[in-house]
Amino acid sequence: MSRLFRNSMVAILAVGVTALAGCGAGGSTDQNAGAGEGDGPQKGGTVHMLQNTDFSYLDPARGWDGGVNAFYRLMYRGLTMQTSGDAEDPNAIVADLATGLGEPSEDGLTWTYTLKDDIFFDNGDPITSAEVKFGISRAWDPQIGIGSPYLKNVIDAPEGYEGPYVTGDLPTIETPDEKTIVFHLKQPYPEFDNVLSQANAVPFPEGSGAGDEFIKDVIASGPYTLDSYTPGSSIKLVRNEFWEPESDDVRKAYPDAWDFEIGIDPATIDERMIAGQGSDQNAIASKISSATLARIQTPELQERAITAPAYCTTYMGLNTTKEPFDDVLVRQAVNYAIDRASVQNASGGTQLADIATTIVPPAVTGHKQFDLYPSEGNAGDPEKAKELLAEAGHEDGVSFTLDIRTNPVAQAQAEAVQESLAKADIDVKLNVIDASIFYETIATPSQQHDAAITGWCPDWASSASTFIPPLFDGRNITDRGNQNLAQFDDDAVNTRIDEIMAMGATPESADAWGELDEQIMESAPIAPLALENGIFVPGENIAGYYPSTSMTDLTIVGLKDPSKG
Amino acid sequence: MTSVSPDLAAASAHGDDSSLAGDQSSPRAATRFLRAFVTDVPAMLSALYILLMLLAAIFAPLIVKLSGWGPYEFDQTAIDPNLGALPRGDFGGMSGEHWFGVEPGNGRDIFARIVYGARVSLTVALSATVLTTVLGVVIGMLAGYFGGKVDAIISRAMEFLMAFPALIFMIAILSALPADNRVVLLIVVISIFGWPYLARIVRSQTLSLKEREFVEAARASGATHAQIIFREILPNLQSTIIVMAALAVPGYVGTEAGLSFLGVGVVPPTPSWGQMIASAAPYYAVDPMYFIIPGLFLFLLVMSFTTLGDRLRAIANAGEVRG
Repeated sequence: MSRLFRNSMVAILAVGVTALAGCGAGGSTDQNAGAGEGDGPQKGGTVHMLQNTDFSYLDPARGWDGGVNAFYRLMYRGLTMQTSGDAEDPNAIVADLATGLGEPSEDGLTWTYTLKDDIFFDNGDPITSAEVKFGISRAWDPQIGIGSPYLKNVIDAPEGYEGPYVTGDLPTIETPDEKTIVFHLKQPYPEFDNVLSQANAVPFPEGSGAGDEFIKDVIASGPYTLDSYTPGSSIKLVRNEFWEPESDDVRKAYPDAWDFEIGIDPATIDERMIAGQGSDQNAIASKISSATLARIQTPELQERAITAPAYCTTYMGLNTTKEPFDDVLVRQAVNYAIDRASVQNASGGTQLADIATTIVPPAVTGHKQFDLYPSEGNAGDPEKAKELLAEAGHEDGVSFTLDIRTNPVAQAQAEAVQESLAKADIDVKLNVIDASIFYETIATPSQQHDAAITGWCPDWASSASTFIPPLFDGRNITDRGNQNLAQFDDDAVNTRIDEIMAMGATPESADAWGELDEQIMESAPIAPLALENGIFVPGENIAGYYPSTSMTDLTIVGLKDPSKG
Repeated sequence: MTSVSPDLAAASAHGDDSSLAGDQSSPRAATRFLRAFVTDVPAMLSALYILLMLLAAIFAPLIVKLSGWGPYEFDQTAIDPNLGALPRGDFGGMSGEHWFGVEPGNGRDIFARIVYGARVSLTVALSATVLTTVLGVVIGMLAGYFGGKVDAIISRAMEFLMAFPALIFMIAILSALPADNRVVLLIVVISIFGWPYLARIVRSQTLSLKEREFVEAARASGATHAQIIFREILPNLQSTIIVMAALAVPGYVGTEAGLSFLGVGVVPPTPSWGQMIASAAPYYAVDPMYFIIPGLFLFLLVMSFTTLGDRLRAIANAGEVRG
């Protein structure tokens, strides 16, 4: 599966409301700080998680989306990882199996890591550099390595290398001794620590996991290991006895077991979370739907509710290669005319959505707040839009076709866009595409129409390097699996992307991404619409819960009173 | 889909013996039929509601001008952005401004959308009825009258279509075809699967009618096939066709609403009752009026057509027995 699919999965998760999710590092200033009054999580008990869809794969080399990444944290350890969900900067990358972050060589092409002591698999075998190397090299297997593409894109594997089972040893990862591992890159990649925090960069015993071996059972390196797995209905995790808490700075692993209840209707999940009966008081779930919002306004439920900021931007891509959006004035006119307040209401109102005027959302490092196309109350400025259209020679208005997917929220957003653009004599024709083929269709330039409403989530939030380049680097436009929906190709922007990528995830690069965001929005290749927050209602007995719309840190969640439920 | 009971088929075929006498019985029968109809309370109430909906559909733009809100107009002041964009006020935001309240999320006027939704429901249901009736009568008569190979081919085609899982196939066709003009597509698709039900009954009645003495007489006096079909057989099928058509409409109203509910109906933002019910479903607990109003209108329309068809059948039967 391609990267497009992976990202689409994330987009479906976060933008498409359904979602397993319940995922991600919180860390917003406005949230009710995890659990209630003082009594933090205690050791023991079973935490339940209610979700609609199954996790994509147990094998981290295959799965790659917000929901499953959160799950992998419980079972697997990598050299580096995203830090604890309650940290001041939950986007930061810290060392996990390694004693510290990587040490790059002078030329940035060689990265060296040293392993900690007391790290074991769930069968008691120690984890050495050879196992880390073996696990990572699985990413090149043509059948298994369908997860995160970053390892393959960044590490300098020999031409035609196809993983440990087909080709064998990967010479560009060296293991001089049991504790040291050295990576050779294709070209300097300052954010290599982020690459190794991806779910597929985890150790496995040498020779294990060939073919479908890890489809139903796996070898864990984290605090939990698989107890039972019934695809589409339940996953149960129990403690990995060989995991040493002292060797892990982030994972707390309070509960003795995890019980994932899968295949429950979203409306039923909301009902059960509100009722909170029996074991449901020990449960967490995905974000609530907008119809449920009115029911959690009681003081008791308000105390439980936690708002998590959006990591994804919902936007309308404007195809810059086609009439009428080949004219920057028309694109700007659309940006002026959109009534973002009504799009916000269509997305569930002020509690469930914020108004987006930038490409990078505030939760992602590299965000800069600006609004190049302001209007009073964000209600759109059709007059200004008409002026711009007249200037562009479209006195009688323009019309275009907007691709949307069969999803209630996406349709409501599209109708809000349609209605607000009509006031500026812009006629929008909605083209509803089945959700299962929507992302594939709009990512194929020969099939996409003039515009499409979709969303984008970063692969890591510690920098905008997985936000702006995939969407706006003109050199990334492809015939299939194209993420640059606007087909925006600007030499100045391309050059600037290279310059900022070379800086790595530094404070300077964060500022630079923000500046570039504004620079791109001047050409208006997209119209940012909304930032869809998540509201989560955990069970009464849950503590240490910092939900996120990107990836919830499940490893710090626990029960206030493990004897309950 | 409804099928006509054998007793009706028998009764109408039966009654037609009397019309052998000639033309002068027809106007008298019509008057008697009409008199029975206007004194029948359920039939009149149903007809009244249908008429009301028809007028609403035809004059939708005028009615909406009166009520003040168009079907696509957003009213951001009628919804509460801080509360999941639910309507402000009780009963889904019902007020002098918005008679039936507003939709959550965008504040569109439900009254206007009901009125415009009636257009879709009635256009699709009535057009499909006309189309299936024409197809059913023509094809059924052809099969019944000519018999032999023609009958064999047509009968097999009808059996083929009736054995099809129609709803599943309709969903498949509608989601595969481009959504340019869904109303026309809906009519065509519903008609393709609808006509055999009427055609079968028309065929069987034609089969028995063509053996009757008055047909024999017409044939003996040198009438052409066309003359026999249109002057002798068709008039005797009248009551069957009327009753069958009236009973088919509620089925098509329901099918259209069902297809819209499943997301293969008219393209948003065009309102349709089925679509409104679908989008109201998640709000059943917090905004029940949003669900109840389109549901009630759909229920009443289907019930009215069903009652009307049923009463028509009863009146026709009674009249024929007496005649």
